[in-house]
Amino acid sequence: MKKLINDPARYVDESLDGLTLAFPSLVRDGAAGRVVRRAEGMTEGKVGIASGGGFGHLPLFTGYVGRGLIDTCAIGNVFEGPNIDSCIDAIRLADGGRGVLRLYGNYGGDRMNFDMAGEVLEDEGIRCTTVLGTDDIASGGPGEIGRRRGVAGLIYAYKTAGAAAEAGADLEEVTRIAAKAVAATRTIGVGLAPCRLPSAAKPSFELAEDEIEMGIGIHGEPGIWRDRLRPADAIADEMVDRLLADLPAQSGGEASVLVNGLGATPLEELFILYRRIRSRFDQAGLTIAHPLVGNYVTSMEMQGASVSLFHLDEELKALLRAPAECAFWRVD
Amino acid sequence: MELTVFQIAVGVRRAADAMDRLEQELNAADAKLGDGDTGSMLARVIAAMAAAEPQAAASVSDAFGRLARAGMSATGSSLGTLFASALLSLSKQTKGREIQWSDLSDLIAVARDGMMARGGAKLGDKTVLDALDAVVVAIAGRTDAGSVGATACEALDRTLVEFRDRPCRMGRAKFFAGKSVGLDDPGMLACASLAKVLASEGAGAHYLTT
Repeated sequence: MKKLINDPARYVDESLDGLTLAFPSLVRDGAAGRVVRRAEGMTEGKVGIASGGGFGHLPLFTGYVGRGLIDTCAIGNVFEGPNIDSCIDAIRLADGGRGVLRLYGNYGGDRMNFDMAGEVLEDEGIRCTTVLGTDDIASGGPGEIGRRRGVAGLIYAYKTAGAAAEAGADLEEVTRIAAKAVAATRTIGVGLAPCRLPSAAKPSFELAEDEIEMGIGIHGEPGIWRDRLRPADAIADEMVDRLLADLPAQSGGEASVLVNGLGATPLEELFILYRRIRSRFDQAGLTIAHPLVGNYVTSMEMQGASVSLFHLDEELKALLRAPAECAFWRVD
Repeated sequence: MELTVFQIAVGVRRAADAMDRLEQELNAADAKLGDGDTGSMLARVIAAMAAAEPQAAASVSDAFGRLARAGMSATGSSLGTLFASALLSLSKQTKGREIQWSDLSDLIAVARDGMMARGGAKLGDKTVLDALDAVVVAIAGRTDAGSVGATACEALDRTLVEFRDRPCRMGRAKFFAGKSVGLDDPGMLACASLAKVLASEGAGAHYLTT
């Protein structure tokens, strides 16, 4: 597994340097430059949304800093949560005087550091709330949703909570929308080949040349089963079946679908998947609005894809369609 | 026997040197249960701790505090954050007093409880907490560095064997608990490997036993 890098120890910082040079709407800030924020700074009087997580998932998390999305992002090393200093800075930089929503995936390191950052900032009078992404249906049963990991579906919470904040909603309302979006989102992934961490000598997991893994996590966490590779339609069918078997209570027959590449799977293959998935959802009577196909949340060079369903009502649909702009996603 | 700043500093230096050897070994153990970076993360964290110059600390509390702050700045990973929070607990507990090796069991017990509250793991979940718990019990009543080191290493090896065939109930491995049976938890393994480094008779060992 070859990589275009200089030094594993400089992987994150050199990549962030390039990212912010390529997209001047993003600037590095905070402790050791491990916070990315909007170049124009925080809008006074707007509720802030701070996110964060390990590096290695671009466009997630950093790439969604932008208008109508998130305001700041604390960045850890590859697949490691951001440190407490970055979390503190991300929250401070997202404070426009009306409080800050901490919105990130349900992982131990991220939780501990954002929690500790909140404890440190209590004395500064910054009001904080927390919503965790928990959309991966392979990581816990329907009765234990709080245990589930946050994966690609987190971008729907960014989009809708970001739209609410941009429209002037208060902290309680932005938090309610984020929690509602998370509760309405379900994701399942499939892995075809692993990635390798820049500092590791071996890939993050082993998968035989002719094997796939259903339910894989975005750090290569083992999923539901491993078996021989099968045609794309058969894989799509199983992913659809699993998503339809795990409908949230508020499902109203309309959803956005995200067919997401994990890094090394070509767009062509994602469209082959989408073609089948769309037809299966049509057959199931699910109306698909605002489909997304592309690399939205990756695991470096991992091969594979995830499918997310974001169940919509009129409120969430309007927020999903509200204007937004970041380096990797634009809604006019 | 008193636990000194110098002993802490030597221990950190030796742990940092040993990570050259342990890094890929721990990465390999983690690749079976996580994403294969535990060794690299700990190598970076311990190097940052050594660079924080614990030898220049004014007290044992200050030394632990320097290590905690360096660890917290070097990583946001679950294991690294928990290690750093334990050191912060040791720093708070030792503020303004001299520390004896015989105090260590009680000090680690409080740190262990703080880690449980912060991370949400319980004893028996097959995590680094079970390793620390075994150390707390084993070193109770031990009064010098040599016997603390020896009994801690024995307890850690015993705990690794005892938990090997149990399922992981925390961290990424909890999602495939059945597959974790027969494998060592990387955090527990790191604890045992680093304890051996601290307690070994290699170069500098006399600093820990005098």
